[in-house]
Amino acid sequence: MAEAIAADNITKTFPNVTANDCVTVSVEEGTIRAVVGENGAGKTTLMKILYGLYQPDSGTIRIKGEEIKLSNPRDAISRGIGMVHQHFMLVPSFTLAQNIVLGVEPKKRIFIDENQLNESVQQISEKYGFDIDTQKLAVDASVGEQQRAEILKALYRGADILILDEPTAVLTDMETKELFVMLRNLMKSGITILFISHKLREVLEISDETTVMRNGKVVGTVKTSETDSHKLAEMMVGRDTIGGRIRTSCDVKDAVLTIENLSVLDSRDLQAVKNVSLKLCKGEILGVAGVDGNGQEEFVEAIMGLRPKIKGKITIDGKEIQDLSTRGIRESGVAFIPSDRYRSGIAMDALIWENIIAGDYYSEPFSNGLSLVMKEVLDTSEKLVKKFQVSTPGLKVKTGNLSGGNIQRVIAGRELGLKEAKVVIASQPTRGIDIAGTEAIRQMLLEYANRGAGVLILSADLDEVLALSDRIVVFYEGEISDAGYWDEDIRSRVGQLMTGGEGENNAK
Amino acid sequence: MLNKSQKPTEIPIYKKIIVGAGTQIANYIIILFISISIGALVIFLSGMDPLTAYLALIKGAFGNWIKTADTLDRSTVMILAGIAGTLAFRTNVINLGLEGQLYIGAFAAALVGFSVTGLSKAVHIPLCLLAGMLGGAMWTLPVIYMKLRWNITELVTTLMMNYIAIRFTEYLIAFPFKDPTARLAGSPVLEASARLPKLIQGSTLNIGFIIAIATAIFSFWFLFKSKTGYEMRMVGLNKDFAAASGIPVNRSYTLAMMMSGAIVGLGGAIMITGFFGRFLGSFSSGYGWDGMMIALLAQNHPLGVIPASLFYGALANGALAMQSATGVPQTVVVMVKGTVMFFVTVMVFVRFIRRRLTKWVT
Repeated sequence: MAEAIAADNITKTFPNVTANDCVTVSVEEGTIRAVVGENGAGKTTLMKILYGLYQPDSGTIRIKGEEIKLSNPRDAISRGIGMVHQHFMLVPSFTLAQNIVLGVEPKKRIFIDENQLNESVQQISEKYGFDIDTQKLAVDASVGEQQRAEILKALYRGADILILDEPTAVLTDMETKELFVMLRNLMKSGITILFISHKLREVLEISDETTVMRNGKVVGTVKTSETDSHKLAEMMVGRDTIGGRIRTSCDVKDAVLTIENLSVLDSRDLQAVKNVSLKLCKGEILGVAGVDGNGQEEFVEAIMGLRPKIKGKITIDGKEIQDLSTRGIRESGVAFIPSDRYRSGIAMDALIWENIIAGDYYSEPFSNGLSLVMKEVLDTSEKLVKKFQVSTPGLKVKTGNLSGGNIQRVIAGRELGLKEAKVVIASQPTRGIDIAGTEAIRQMLLEYANRGAGVLILSADLDEVLALSDRIVVFYEGEISDAGYWDEDIRSRVGQLMTGGEGENNAK
Repeated sequence: MLNKSQKPTEIPIYKKIIVGAGTQIANYIIILFISISIGALVIFLSGMDPLTAYLALIKGAFGNWIKTADTLDRSTVMILAGIAGTLAFRTNVINLGLEGQLYIGAFAAALVGFSVTGLSKAVHIPLCLLAGMLGGAMWTLPVIYMKLRWNITELVTTLMMNYIAIRFTEYLIAFPFKDPTARLAGSPVLEASARLPKLIQGSTLNIGFIIAIATAIFSFWFLFKSKTGYEMRMVGLNKDFAAASGIPVNRSYTLAMMMSGAIVGLGGAIMITGFFGRFLGSFSSGYGWDGMMIALLAQNHPLGVIPASLFYGALANGALAMQSATGVPQTVVVMVKGTVMFFVTVMVFVRFIRRRLTKWVT
């Protein structure tokens, strides 16, 4: 069979990170290729390069055997490449048919030829056996229908190579099944499909071949029929479980944080966390692993009182906190480092001292009840800035002017340096910051655990979770499973659970 | 690490103003200069003398003590409306309902002013002003409820409430509270004990101006020094961050909206008790809207609101004098105001000009 699309030695670097490192992939015509890997493995970057959204620093792209330079998506489309993004881009007030032809409408003089439009859309959807009502408005269409419209949009533009970025992430099980039927039909009509996924079960079901990526590199490409989820998971997370582990001893006493049957609805009223129970002991570092978007974010926000729709019981030192306000929860002894520092960690336009006192401004010694005691505020802030080695020209500087690492130090200082917490919840504590900053923040978390606090670490970086945790639990589709205490095989167990494999035992 | 800031070397004053980093004054001088020039160009192109026109304007606004005092009186309500806008915008509460809150506050003050009798000035005046504040604050309650209950944006609801307020007060003075002796639609005349004492004979300037200045100073303290003001500012800068830190977001929202309504309501009350002496239909020539512009012009700084309001007040009073003295239409002033607003909103451009000036001076 002929080669449809290939990347040859592609390297792409962003500031601080090499997203693709000498990536070589070759996909044959009329096959389904899955690309799997953890968050940040470089899958999406590679796909964006193949679609002309990014230009590689070095390396070449071949389409149907011809070496091509793609400077924008238009080039890619004209070469027969279509991409369906994770987030759909449809005009809500247009019908699906109108969305499908948007930009390349059939015209009658200067007007859009509606009859011709509907006819050709109907033709193409019948040709590929799509079951879709194209007269529906996009706003009324289900997620599955919107996705089908996106795929048709690509096909309408003559695509014979389809790139799907995590197509099943937003679908229900039923819709996923339907999608797979359609993908098989497309394959039979000679369309080449590349799709990104985290879910090994689905990869095994649909793809002909699977390419595994890790840390920007291709680990390998295997025939799907000749592999299984164990082997793929191992390729995804690597074998090097030893090394890099910082935490060596632990002293686990009684539970400080208990969670019983916690369920959380997300902003669309879907159940993001399903009946989760968990215990965090004093002096324990508990790692929470999982691919982004599997409910772990909603889980910590629920603990912090930031999610209005929760069910279940949460206690700290035996005291129930699920009905308290965020302030009440913090006063019960919880420190919280949010995952997205720019969204909820700081106010970019506030001064450094204003960010430092955000959790404690209202009480002694920072406030006398009516106004802020500026001397106390500035003295404490200065001490904190020194202690946590924030590099800043002063305290009256807009926090947004600091580098990411320094901003994270400000947040860590505020949460860990002002008062002694019983429970520390650190979500992505070192995402996107330099090595020195990472080390410093990890060290602080370890110190906290050594002093007897319970520490909960969420990270998309599996290495971080592995390096710090005594025990690891894994979120998958809103449910939690226990990967157990740290030992030499924990990496493969976590890898299994992250991708939907069966765990040996459930969380206690 | 903290570095001790080094002592700046001596620079001549003109350089300090133009070059000095962070001097807002320099930005405003440049903006004012550009705007006045554009106004002058238009006056010139329509065949009149810009210099005489502008001189007439300045004379109209500050020609003598009485005129100056009248200008201060004109800015009084603008200061309060500007402060009201500032408090809301600092909390990222988009209160577009200042005009309506002004009307309700004014009517509430008038109601207390003409219906309560037999009080001394020392009791009656505070009572009227309090009624104005209460009226303005209460008028925001439906908006707050709709926001907190159903998350309906205040951007729309406050705007709609304006029309309700204006028509509602119009109804009140047309029917239930119509002054039977008056020829135009208006409430009965206020009791003498409800009228604000004047500061200067021959001018309408009254103690309302002092109240406005005091409110501005209080708001400065409140926003930047008080605990609650800190909460409001943090909510305004980043709501999600405030929530995650345990700052009560909804309380700040409610407070900001009600304070905003109360302060602009106070402005309405001062206009009625200080200037008009009775509630008149459509008495406000858009002071609520001016308040928003002034807040923007002052970049939401409570003390900056004072000069911004004086500028607006002077333009308003000077424009009329300019028109009658030179025949240059009042609308030139609207254009100058528009240009100023334009440049304030695109401050970036001004910073660019400043960089050029910096090169040229140094």
